[in-house]
Amino acid sequence: MGRIFTVELDGRVYRCRFCRTQLALAEDLISKSFHCRHGKAYLFNYATNISVGDEEERVLFSGMHTVADIFCCCCGQNVGWKYVAAQEKTQKYKEGKFVLERGRIADGTDLEFYIDTRPNGSDGDDS
Amino acid sequence: MIGPKGVIKKIEFVRTITKALYSLGYERTGAVLEEESGIPLYSSMVNLFRKQVLEGNWDESLITLHKIGLDDENVLKSVSFLILEQKFFEILEKNKIMEALETLRSEITPLSINKKRVHEFSSCIVSPSQRILVGFADVGTETLKPRMKLLEELQKMLPSSIMVPERRLEHLIEQALGVQREACYFHNSHESCLSLYTDHQCGKDHLPSHTTQVLQEHHDEVWFLQFSNQGKYLASSSNDKSAIIWEVREDGELTLKHKLIGHKKSVLMVAWSPDDSQLLTCGMEEAVRRWDVHSGECLYVYEKTGLGLISCGWFLHGKQLFSGVTDKTICFWDLDGKELDSWKGQRTSKISDVAVTKDGRQIISMCQETVILLLDRETKIQTLIEEEQTITSFLLSEDDNFLLVNLINQEIHLWNVRNDPKLVTTYKGHKRSRFLIRSCFGGLEQAFIASGSEDSQVYIWHRSTGDLLEALPGHSGTVNCVSWNPSNPYMLASASDDHTIRIWGLSKVNGKRKDTDSNGAVHHLCNGSSK
Repeated sequence: MGRIFTVELDGRVYRCRFCRTQLALAEDLISKSFHCRHGKAYLFNYATNISVGDEEERVLFSGMHTVADIFCCCCGQNVGWKYVAAQEKTQKYKEGKFVLERGRIADGTDLEFYIDTRPNGSDGDDS
Repeated sequence: MIGPKGVIKKIEFVRTITKALYSLGYERTGAVLEEESGIPLYSSMVNLFRKQVLEGNWDESLITLHKIGLDDENVLKSVSFLILEQKFFEILEKNKIMEALETLRSEITPLSINKKRVHEFSSCIVSPSQRILVGFADVGTETLKPRMKLLEELQKMLPSSIMVPERRLEHLIEQALGVQREACYFHNSHESCLSLYTDHQCGKDHLPSHTTQVLQEHHDEVWFLQFSNQGKYLASSSNDKSAIIWEVREDGELTLKHKLIGHKKSVLMVAWSPDDSQLLTCGMEEAVRRWDVHSGECLYVYEKTGLGLISCGWFLHGKQLFSGVTDKTICFWDLDGKELDSWKGQRTSKISDVAVTKDGRQIISMCQETVILLLDRETKIQTLIEEEQTITSFLLSEDDNFLLVNLINQEIHLWNVRNDPKLVTTYKGHKRSRFLIRSCFGGLEQAFIASGSEDSQVYIWHRSTGDLLEALPGHSGTVNCVSWNPSNPYMLASASDDHTIRIWGLSKVNGKRKDTDSNGAVHHLCNGSSK
């Protein structure tokens, strides 16, 4: 599929667990307390080397949001989502930010296996 | 007033035409027009003045000059000066020294202009040899020619309302044609197409927008292609680890000339030598190979031990080549493989685009994700082009004056890099989210910008306005690269992930054109695409 264009990041990075493509800088990490269907998720200021899917309205734990799924640009895995818009004022801080699922990313010090303990999470808020 | 808009004065219109008729040599017609219209080309005073100048009746001509109706004092003086100058020299020719002196003293000097010239006149009286130095040719018996020349000079000085300027009508028409040509949006044809009978307007059908050929020799995605400098060949490179040289035949059809096998990795790009006799190919993080176009033979393999090469190019008129290296440097070689230089500037490693101006003076490369560095090798001056979004690729124009920059956010920016870099135009509409998509200049006088796209279409924009002109469907995979034939404004090539190369041209219907390009009829019109 074409000649994939990737950006190289400087510093400690989180990579796609499947193809090792760099996705986000550790310094852009905002919160580790988010949740997704498969378990924990991290909120980042910025994510790179991803392609963005269609926007859709989803009811998440914290209310109605407009989100778009994001995919690793190299292997195409769904690695999380992006907040496009939030209905409630208290949730507005998320707009424009990215959530990467903990189970889909690796930070180099990861164990090979990650066990999902939460059955039906949606997204969570910062404490 | 005449004309539908009521801005043309009838008298001016007729006089301009009369003047044009005389210029063309149609004396009788000119005279008839003057009579029939009752509008003389020149007023009676002016006619008298002209007659007097040609006959050498200087004093009378000066009197008439004052009656012509000149408002500008300075013009009056300048014209008088020239007339008196002629009078002076003609008297001097006849060796009437005293008379000449008299003219100089009482007529020329009081004008108080051109004092330097007046001094020169004085020296002419004293020594005859000065005359030639001053520029006064020997009149001899032939007085008419210099007088006619004088009249021409005088006519230029008189205001245009009195003396209709020479070739005024031709000038007005050329101006109008120029405006039409400028306004021609799709202008992609040669000058001979301009006619006075209709307003010039190239239709959209002057853009190459129909697939005329599908080339299917590659076994995998085609990542790069480029026409040779003279437009006689096309070189393509593919994920199938090969590059192909195609020949562009007289009738516009492309045929396979050589398959260049040797690389062990995908071939990222190709680069034509300035004389089109050799081709460089670059394997992905591998080596650069130099090939002979005529024989298809590999002449040399350039490598760096332990490192990989990611781009290649020529400079210094084909005497040297450069290559981007995975260790973020740029390496320079001479043809025999001798390493000449290695530039270790701040560079990003993954973006392989490097450009060097034809004189070898400027290196243009990516120094940060959003910044392009222009380095002058002689003065060491660094200039930066700073974008707000990540740059995915760029291309230096043929004339080394413009940089076409592709951004990660699906915008293409055109920068003028002749002096201080300046953003000129932005082009939008195509799709890019994962791959390296390239764009190019093209068409007559590089008036268009073309680009590949992830939606499998070829996009064409109007260069100066940035307007999207065409989105051409046909490929069944991402179009990675496009190249416009430099010697044929109607031929465009595109390389795609669908393993094919498409050649685009004019539609069959528009096969007949007035210019002298050899490409005419359409061949191999394919339905759909391969694979």
